[in-house]
This record gives sequence, structure tokens and C-alpha cells, in this order.
Amino acid sequence: MSAQPYGLIATFKTAPALYHAAEAVRDAGYRHWDCITPFPVHGLDKAMGLRRSIVPRISLVGGITGFCTGMSLIWWTGAVDYKLIVGGKPLFSPMFAFPVSYELTILFTAFATIIGMFVLNGLPMHYHPVLKYDQIRRGMDDTFFIVIEARDPRFNAANTRALLAQAGGEAITELEP
Amino acid sequence: MSSHAASAPAALSAAPASTAPAASKALTLGLAGIVLTALGLFVSGAKVVAHSWLVGVTYWTALAIGMLLLVLIHHIFDASWSTVIRRQFEHGLAAFKWLGLLFLPLVLATFLYDRDLIWPWLDLNHEMHGGHTVGHDPLYLKKAAFLNPGMFLGMTVAFFASWIWLSSRLRRASFTQDQDGSLSWTRHNRVTAALGLPIAALTLTFAAIYWIKSLEYHWFSTMYGVWFFANCVRGALSFGVIIMVWLWQRGDYKGILNTNHFHSIGMLMLAFTVFWAYVTFSQYFLIWNANVPEETFWYNLREINHDGASNQWKWIGIFGILFGHFFIPFFFLLSYRFKITPHILRRIAIWILAVILLDLCYNIMPALKDSHGDALPLFSLNLVWILTSVVGVGGVCVWAYLRSFGTAKLIPIRDPRIGESLTHHE
Repeated sequence: MSAQPYGLIATFKTAPALYHAAEAVRDAGYRHWDCITPFPVHGLDKAMGLRRSIVPRISLVGGITGFCTGMSLIWWTGAVDYKLIVGGKPLFSPMFAFPVSYELTILFTAFATIIGMFVLNGLPMHYHPVLKYDQIRRGMDDTFFIVIEARDPRFNAANTRALLAQAGGEAITELEP
Repeated sequence: MSSHAASAPAALSAAPASTAPAASKALTLGLAGIVLTALGLFVSGAKVVAHSWLVGVTYWTALAIGMLLLVLIHHIFDASWSTVIRRQFEHGLAAFKWLGLLFLPLVLATFLYDRDLIWPWLDLNHEMHGGHTVGHDPLYLKKAAFLNPGMFLGMTVAFFASWIWLSSRLRRASFTQDQDGSLSWTRHNRVTAALGLPIAALTLTFAAIYWIKSLEYHWFSTMYGVWFFANCVRGALSFGVIIMVWLWQRGDYKGILNTNHFHSIGMLMLAFTVFWAYVTFSQYFLIWNANVPEETFWYNLREINHDGASNQWKWIGIFGILFGHFFIPFFFLLSYRFKITPHILRRIAIWILAVILLDLCYNIMPALKDSHGDALPLFSLNLVWILTSVVGVGGVCVWAYLRSFGTAKLIPIRDPRIGESLTHHE
């Protein structure tokens, strides 16, 4: 079968080499690609041209949803569905609804953050094509990799390979899907 | 530790650019504020001016306490990123001895001029609502072991003594380390922090109780010290941002501060905004829910007059305290972009400093009452004396900071964490 490969993987020996190669790939305009490093390389997100995560926005939506849920829950149960005077207080007041709304704000924010992070990262992921690469374990030890996916609109087996080679990548290999 | 010093930018080997002209300007402004406040004695009377002066002194004392706490917290956690800005807080601590001096007029006026000037419980003959005096008030008698002239004087002296003592220990160790690079100073500071944090926590709590809360000594609130603590730290962080942006724009901090320093202090500001709101709301909510007259009168005084009409303080509470002190800074500081853009972060820092002042006014000024027992409004001639007091005390504090600024390096260049701080990252 001559199915399209998943992408190309290139090996780099040092963090600076990977860093500059990442800048080259970024400047070439690729979007579907990634770096694999044994440890966090500071500043790599910038070299890759990554924007800040949108998880905080998802968290904010979760928080506002939680707050409104708390307020409307207490308003609806206490002042609409089953009117009940407790402790001589009004049927509804944002004062006594606040602690519950506040807790729900935190709970929903936490849910939104965790779920948002999982979804954006594509987790849980039980299989990934780079795992088939026989050298990939060295990415947890002393070697750095750049993977460019074939689904990237700029991907072209020959040109992409040339770009990686020019950026200093070694052992450039095609990954099976 | 010379390797760390070597990693600091070369410009640091020179002494920081002179701040002497700015210092003398600040002192002039401060003295002008003090003179204007003194003139207020002839316009609005001693009681009003004394309360305004109390606002001014507690405001700047709160900022200084906040700086003390930030330095202590820095050392107890062996923090790294805040090393480059810690030095500015250490300079700020130079204000404590002057604050002690500026508090003195309140004590002298109370004991030499009029016992009933500010704190009603210092005058046993102070007549209460309903005709009886403080000396015959059962609630006072229950608290008399705590609220009496000897305790007030002794505690106030103890507050300033412990703050000045802790500050001088922290400043001496940090400044000497610049010279000899000895690591023992870092350990020395950690010991000061372990010792100083409980002392600072207790003194600031009791200071808030003696100076502010006892203006209405009938009242109960176990949150009061925590409320004051939250304001202290928020104020110090905001003042720290103003200093950071000033030194950054002046060029001193070029190559030293990066985006992440602003992000980190912005995150602390957000955290303390939430903390302040949690504490302040808890105090209000518990009193609202329990609905006991001994507690609710404090908020009633700040909402309605004796005839049931809303007074100014109600709107200050809603728009100044609830929205101004919480919602606006909270939503503003949620943004990453706002936190990392220095001049935008400075904008919210100035705002927070202004609402902290409003919060102190909200807590202190309603102690001034008219013949019906209603709180005197804030927006009146009284506001002028509050502002002159804040400028008066502030000018002296800023002068003390700037004077200290020239006596040490811009950043603690031989601190073992300075390298980490200079390369602070997320």
C-alpha cells in the first residue's frame, strides 16, 4: 500500500540545535508539527511560534456557568418552585446564595480546565504513530526530535525533508501512519 | 557566589542613578501636606482632622507592613523570582521609623489635649447613646482589660518597635551581603522570617483592632485582622508594581526584569484580590446572616441614617468596595496581556491603591457622627483633610524610600538566588 506517511521525523543532538531548527520550521510556515524533548526547553514555545493556550478562556466560561448555576439553583428552588422562608430571610438573596455559587464557580472552573486541557491535547490518546519509530525512546533520554505531519498543507516529502536537513536534522525518517 | 554576580548586567556595578532631587521633592510635598492638614484644625476642628490623619497614617503603615510581609514571605519560602524586586521593598521598610513619628501626634493629642478625640473608650466619661458613660458600659467593662490607656500605649509602642526591629534586621543582612557575599546572611534572613512572620501577623492584627476596629468597640468581628492583612499585601504589591514600572522606564531595570516578573506579581495581585474579597464578604455575610444588633449596627451605620434614608456610605460600599475593590481588579487581572504589559498593570495598581484608601475611609471615617448618631458623609470638606494627610504621610514615606534607594545596589547582586531571578521563566 502506498498510503501517505504520517510524517517526517528528524533527530537533533542538542537543545540549541533543536531550538534553531524549530525556528526554521516555524518560519517556513508549518502548523501541524511538534518537538519531542527529554526535558522542558525554555523558550521553545516561542521558537515554535505557539500561542498561549486557550484553556484559561474555557476555564472562565466554566466559572461563569458555575456561578450562574448556583444562583439560579437557589433562586428557583427557594423562591419559585417551593417557597420557603428560612430564618426570617427573604425568599431569595444573593447573600446566602453566594457561598454555594462560589463553590460551584470553583467546581465548574476545575471541570472546564481539566476537560478543556484533555480535549485540546487530544487526550486520552492510546496510539500515536511516532511510537512506532524505533529510536523514539531516546527522546526520553538524550535526543531531540522534530516531527512534521503529512496533513500540514505545506507538507511535501522532498521539500520538507530538505528543510529538516538544512536545519541540521539527522536520520530523517518517514513515519508510518 | 561570584559566578552569580557575574551573571548580573554590567551596569549594576555602578551605583544607581541619583534620586536625591526626587527625594527632596517628595519631602517638600509631604511637609506641605502636613502643614495643610494642620491648617485643617482651624477649619474643620480637631476631631475631623485627627480621624483624617489616622486614615493617612494607617494607609501608609499598611503599605509598609505589606512590604515587610512580602520580604518575610520571600525568605521563608526561599523564593527566587522576587529576588530582583525584594530590594525595593527593603528600601520601603525605611519608612517605619518615620511612620512611628507621624503616629505620635495622635497619641499626644489624645492624652494631652482631648481623651475623647478619636477612640471613645480612652475617655471613661464619654457619653454614649442613651445617656450612660463608657465607664458604666457593660460591654466596655468586659473588654476593659484589653481596651485601656496602658495597653493602647504599650501595644502601639510594641507594634512600631517590632516592625522597626524586623526591618533593620532584614535590611542590614541584605545590604551587607552585597558587600561580603556571605551565604550566612541568607540563613540569617530565613531565621528572621521564621521569627518575624508570627510577630508581624500578631502585631498587624492588634494594630488593626486597636487603631481602627476599636473606634466602634461594641462591635465584634473575628475577620478584622485578616481583612487588614489582605489590604496590606495588596497595597504593597501594587506599590511594588509602580516602583518596578518606574525603574523599568527609567532604564534601571532594563535587562533585569522580563515579562515573567510582571506576570508573577500580577498573579499575586489577582490572588490577593480574591483573598481580600473572600475575607471581606465572609465578614459581611456572617453578620448579615446572624442578624444580631451588636454586629449589624456597624454596617447599618454605613448604610442608613437614623430616619432610614440611605447615606453616602451605602453607595461607597456598593460601588467603591464591592465593585471597585473586587470586581474591577478581579476581571482586569484575569487577563494575561494586562498582567504582562507594564503600563497597563501600573494602571490597575494605582486603582487598587486608591480603593484601599477608600476601604480605610469606609472603616474609619463613619466613627465621626452628627448629633443624630449618623455617620458624617465622606464627600465633604473632610475629604480634603484625608487627602492632605495621605499626601503628608506619603511624601515622608516616599522620601524615606528614595533616601534609602541610593544607599544600596539596585538588586541584591550576591544573593544566591539572583541568577534564577534574572532568568525567571514560567
